[in-house]
Amino acid sequence: MNYIKELLASRELLVNLTLREVKGKYRRTIFGQLWSLANPLAAMLVYTFVFSFIFQIRPDKGDPSGLNIFALWLLCGLLPWLFFSNVLSLGVSSLVSNAALIQKVYFSRVVLPLSQVAARAFTWLFEMGVLVVALAIVGSFVWPWLPLVLVVMLLLALFAAGVALALAVMNVYFRDTEHFLTIILQIWMYLTPIIYPISLVETQSHNVGGIFGTPITVLDLYSLNPMVHFVQVFRELLYDNRWPSGDAMLACVLWAIGSFTLGLIIFRRNEKGLAEAL
Amino acid sequence: MSEAVRIEDVSKKFRLYHERNQTLKSAIMRRRRSVHEDFWALQDVSFSVPQGSTFGLIGSNGSGKSTLLKCLAKIYWPDKGSIAYDGRMAALLEVGSGFHHELSGRENIYLNGSILGMSKKEIDRKFDEIIDFSGVEKFIDQPVKNYSSGMYVRLGFSVAISVQPDILIVDEVLAVGDAEFQEKCFAKFRDYREQGRTVVLVSHSMGSVRAMCDQVAWLNKGHIMQVGETASTIAAYEKSLDLGR
Ligand SMILES: Nc1ncnc2c1ncn2[C@@H]1O[C@H](COP(=O)(O)OP(=O)(O)OP(=O)(O)O)[C@@H](O)[C@H]1O
Ligand SMILES: [Mg+2]
Repeated sequence: MNYIKELLASRELLVNLTLREVKGKYRRTIFGQLWSLANPLAAMLVYTFVFSFIFQIRPDKGDPSGLNIFALWLLCGLLPWLFFSNVLSLGVSSLVSNAALIQKVYFSRVVLPLSQVAARAFTWLFEMGVLVVALAIVGSFVWPWLPLVLVVMLLLALFAAGVALALAVMNVYFRDTEHFLTIILQIWMYLTPIIYPISLVETQSHNVGGIFGTPITVLDLYSLNPMVHFVQVFRELLYDNRWPSGDAMLACVLWAIGSFTLGLIIFRRNEKGLAEAL
Repeated sequence: MSEAVRIEDVSKKFRLYHERNQTLKSAIMRRRRSVHEDFWALQDVSFSVPQGSTFGLIGSNGSGKSTLLKCLAKIYWPDKGSIAYDGRMAALLEVGSGFHHELSGRENIYLNGSILGMSKKEIDRKFDEIIDFSGVEKFIDQPVKNYSSGMYVRLGFSVAISVQPDILIVDEVLAVGDAEFQEKCFAKFRDYREQGRTVVLVSHSMGSVRAMCDQVAWLNKGHIMQVGETASTIAAYEKSLDLGR
């Protein structure tokens, strides 16, 4: 409880550090905040060309929205993923890169990784806004689902924050973490149904059946990846315009709470030793 | 007089790694054979600082002065002993360490102020005073990377003292400022004392210590050699230096 109080007391600092990230990032660039759209747009073009045009991946039509546009279907999963992966890769080094500050001033250290999460959340919100407008233009009736989308965005932010907190601490002790993470994120992305529909995995899983005679299927293992559920829920809300399936929603809530709690506990345990270890 | 800070039997240990590379490989190696030794930077340090006084810490390089201040400032946690204090504390271990090079002086005042625990309203209220004291008014909208090191220190110091802490901790940071600024700072410390605030400072300049401090503690290799009245403690310290020569 005391910790929560301390967090609340440093919210102003959190805001200021977040602003520092947001403002500092595109300072002295001509296009400013628009740059944050460049990366997802480039990824969208490449993936659409490769996976839709060359590999001929055809995700199911939006049900009931009736949408059938690969690029938008892709973005519904890609934008959350990019947020998640950016939070992790920036969060992991948030303590190490602020070593000078940590060694000279006392403040609640947890604001360092959290400000990265908040700064990324800000750009993500901007990107999602653009996506929603695009979806609305092509005839998706997304408006009623937006409140729920915001809730799931918050859940994903909590989940990402928890992982980032733990990784940031780990990176102080083992600087390998940062480099490992780059590889892990690459693999992780392909293990999440972002550029292909999960139905392809279901089909294969069905063909293979239980692994080594056990009742565990490939799909069961595949679903251990929390991002599978997040991506599914975002697509159901934004692309399909329907209620997300209860299971996936529950998984998101549990992963978010579990990750954030564990991340905070790990961080709190190690907080006092940070200045020396850096 | 009541005590502002009370330090009891504080010991601080550092691990000296003979081969410090923070990688997984070395962690696994370390498990087999420990490659560090313990180094006690502070051992059983005890003293208390009366409220409203200016307290000096002296000692040769590496004697543990900065380590002690960092323990006071909650940056390090002592391995043994306890530190108790009353009221709001601010530490100036390195001025301007919270500054962001690309941001302007103005933006940095807000950023640094909030790192030091001030609210936006509070900073708004003290903004003019901060700029006034720092004397960098003309450059306040320039990015701080274009500041001279003295200007950097001036601005950082001005923000830090505007916190109006009950206890101010200062580590050898004023050396960069020019004579005029140092005089300003000393005047500020005197104000602090009159307002019943406590200052703990580290300095190698015996002149300033003599001029400012009511009491002095002399640290040597992590041990307290003497605590007490300024003149006699400095005399003992200087005598030990002469003997060494
Ligand atoms: N993070 C650290 N890890 C290991 N040893 C440290 C660390 N910080 C300080 N030390 C050691 O502790 C001892 C005391 O250092 P400290 O910085 O407190 O000295 P000091 O009295 O402030 O010296 P100076 O007058 O040069 O500022 C030194 O021997 C130093 O090597
Ligand atoms: Mg020192």
